[in-house]
Amino acid sequence: MAVLLLSGILPFLLSFYPPLGFWKNFKALFFSIGIIVIVFGGWDMFAAWRGHWYFDRRGVCGVWLFNLPLEEWLFFVVVPFCCIFTWEALKFIKGKGR
Amino acid sequence: MKEYTLLAAGSLVLVFLADRLTQVRLLKKKLFYFFLLVILGFKFLVNGYLTGEGIVLYNRSFFLGARAGSIPLEDFIFGFSMVSLAVIFWEFFKGRKR
Repeated sequence: MAVLLLSGILPFLLSFYPPLGFWKNFKALFFSIGIIVIVFGGWDMFAAWRGHWYFDRRGVCGVWLFNLPLEEWLFFVVVPFCCIFTWEALKFIKGKGR
Repeated sequence: MKEYTLLAAGSLVLVFLADRLTQVRLLKKKLFYFFLLVILGFKFLVNGYLTGEGIVLYNRSFFLGARAGSIPLEDFIFGFSMVSLAVIFWEFFKGRKR
């Protein structure tokens, strides 16, 4: 859980940096993350069900949604968010360099 | 059966298809590969920790068994697909609004 919070907080704060205009596309962000949650959440549920991998109960907070820990679900929200943010940030930096 | 390996391969097909169908053509952009490198760095940090500490455990019979450090090879494909799809859909939805 701590790992998750740590990785999410910096991009989240930076996403309010106005020149990026990040939140103007809230809908696009919402839909993209939604698709990731469904596709990869589905994959993960299948994998956990089949036993491709499993989670050590000592490493998670103990809240489970279906057969996955809460952290895993949040992971599917935080990671796409961070990635999209990083992508926009890189495009922004590159644009400035020109 | 190496189900995780198969699913990972399938997800690659999904990325190529999504990239084509949405006309985003992310895979043709140079910046995207730089972006992947940046994300890869973070992946080693987070995924390495989770697999190294044994918070996520893998069943040997479902993946090839090759690892980079503690991270199974298939995890990199899972990550690549998830990251790519997130950005592809983000670009797609963002572009449609305009």
